[in-house]
Amino acid sequence: MDDPYKLLGVERGADDATIQKAYRKLAKLHHPDLNPGKPEAEAKFKEISAAYALLSDPEKRARFDRGEIDAEGTEQAARHFYRDFGDRTGSGKYRSGPSFADEDLESLLREAFGHQARGGFAMRGADMHYTLAVDFIAAAKGAVRRLTLPDGATLDVTIPAGLKDGQVLRLKGKGQPGASGGPAGDALIEITVTPHRFFRREGNDVIIELPVTIQEAVVGAKVRVPTIDGPVNLTIQPHSNSGTRLRLKGRGIAGGHQYVELRIVIPSGEEPELEAFLASWQPKHPSDPRAGMEAAS
Amino acid sequence: MMKLDAIIARFPDLELVELTAWIEHGWIQPAIPPAPDLAPAEWTFDGLDLARVGLVYDLRRCLGVEEEMMPLVLSLLDQVYTLRATLKAMTGALEHQPQEVRAAVLAAMARLKHH
Repeated sequence: MDDPYKLLGVERGADDATIQKAYRKLAKLHHPDLNPGKPEAEAKFKEISAAYALLSDPEKRARFDRGEIDAEGTEQAARHFYRDFGDRTGSGKYRSGPSFADEDLESLLREAFGHQARGGFAMRGADMHYTLAVDFIAAAKGAVRRLTLPDGATLDVTIPAGLKDGQVLRLKGKGQPGASGGPAGDALIEITVTPHRFFRREGNDVIIELPVTIQEAVVGAKVRVPTIDGPVNLTIQPHSNSGTRLRLKGRGIAGGHQYVELRIVIPSGEEPELEAFLASWQPKHPSDPRAGMEAAS
Repeated sequence: MMKLDAIIARFPDLELVELTAWIEHGWIQPAIPPAPDLAPAEWTFDGLDLARVGLVYDLRRCLGVEEEMMPLVLSLLDQVYTLRATLKAMTGALEHQPQEVRAAVLAAMARLKHH
């Protein structure tokens, strides 16, 4: 154990009243039964109780001050605190009055789960919240998805074209039924859109990165490009650089466009002829692609 | 199971009259057989009751809670323990629900907390 004076936060010469006051202040903070959710409170409480047991006994305190005994050996016997009785503490005979617990639990549940209210006046049913994951294409083009509710019922959810990730759909009257003639609540469905392997979205535009060969980039080509409505042909002009953005008009979401970003991919295997050619190649228009970067560094 | 004298023996400066008064206030509720003329010596205490005596003893002796404050303190404490038990029951019930229900409840709770 640490220095009992330090534990209680008192001077070595403190009188009994000061020591008791310091102890009570700390004990109120750390008593385990006042802190059922804090396991560490018990060790702290035992520490300060042991310190107080030593300092509140004039004989022990004097011997400790003279250095005849150390702070150890004053631990109290093992004890079961009230909170250690777990389930039995909050139920049975020591539960706080029956009127409190029953009513409280019921209103809690009603609020949390939208259970039907008791009583005679009309009440609107609670809104129910659900989440639904749809894939990128379905969210872009629109679709119908069937949601199975916890009670086994199903709900057909129409996903409008162009729905964004995180958007919430409200299905009127599809929540909890109302009570005593009140209207039903709504079903609120939060949509998460799962990312696509190669499409991504910027507003209503669809972006795709398209790998092309050196040959296609330098001499031009006609290639097939996937769009959300199926593949289309795209002409790559000669001298197209990596990063060039080509537009496919009206191929995006709800009137948006699709943009194709070219990415030049060099051959992965050995290409002796290409290598030999490039090694001896004298560009007609020599240029340094890194010109202008020196000043910035 | 313990009798009154065994309880008294556990606490150095606790008198029989004081413990009897605590029991009369309802702060501690030993099992009292339904015979009106039964002597307090026949009351029985289990581990929960003993721990409860320890709690009341700490509140009165160590923490210096005044006697007239005790009903308030115990009532608040019992409310905390009752709420914790309710919460635990709800958590336990939730654990046995399908993943969708648990997710929906957690999402609803997060929303309510932010409001």
